[in-house]
Amino acid sequence: MMLGRVIGEVWATKRAGAFGHRKAMLVATLAREGDRLFPTGEVVVALDDIGAQQGNVVTVSWGSGARAVFAPPDNRHVLVDAAISRIVDAITLDESGRVLNLQHEEG
Amino acid sequence: MILGQVVGTVWATRKNPNLERLKLAIVRPHFWYNPPHDVDHLVAVDQVGAERGQDVLVCVGQPGRWMAGTSAAPIEASIMAIVDRVVMGPSTEDGTP
Repeated sequence: MMLGRVIGEVWATKRAGAFGHRKAMLVATLAREGDRLFPTGEVVVALDDIGAQQGNVVTVSWGSGARAVFAPPDNRHVLVDAAISRIVDAITLDESGRVLNLQHEEG
Repeated sequence: MILGQVVGTVWATRKNPNLERLKLAIVRPHFWYNPPHDVDHLVAVDQVGAERGQDVLVCVGQPGRWMAGTSAAPIEASIMAIVDRVVMGPSTEDGTP
């Protein structure tokens, strides 16, 4: 999994059936430097089932395990290599255990 | 998945039997997370009918292989959707662009 911030949404009418009606979100991946998170400049498109909004920090499950994000038996025909698995409220970044509240901090 | 643009098509007469009847498209990614090769394009199986110039979503790796209906096919990227538009920034209250 990786951390990212939702920066946009992709709209597509013509799609493979394996997609279902889930939303596809643009997620900019985040990296850590000291006690700050900053965007790496890489962007991944991830399917979203849990209603992530613009600006939310999320975890993205990656690879063939991404399908497991969607509840069975609905996921039987889902083919996806990236899916938003949770919306992050806060994380600890450094050894001091300081909590960074992500949903209220710009970055 | 990767957001990219279809820039061409690949035709091949002699090919692996598992690639029969599959259309191949050349996709140049707008963004690419952790690219496996040092090239600026990838060749993806197209089962949604994308045309040159269209933006598409490309699924890579094992899930992209399943798109062909068999895990035996030598595929690592499949076009999953043709993009109508990309919305960046805040959307309206009802969620529509």
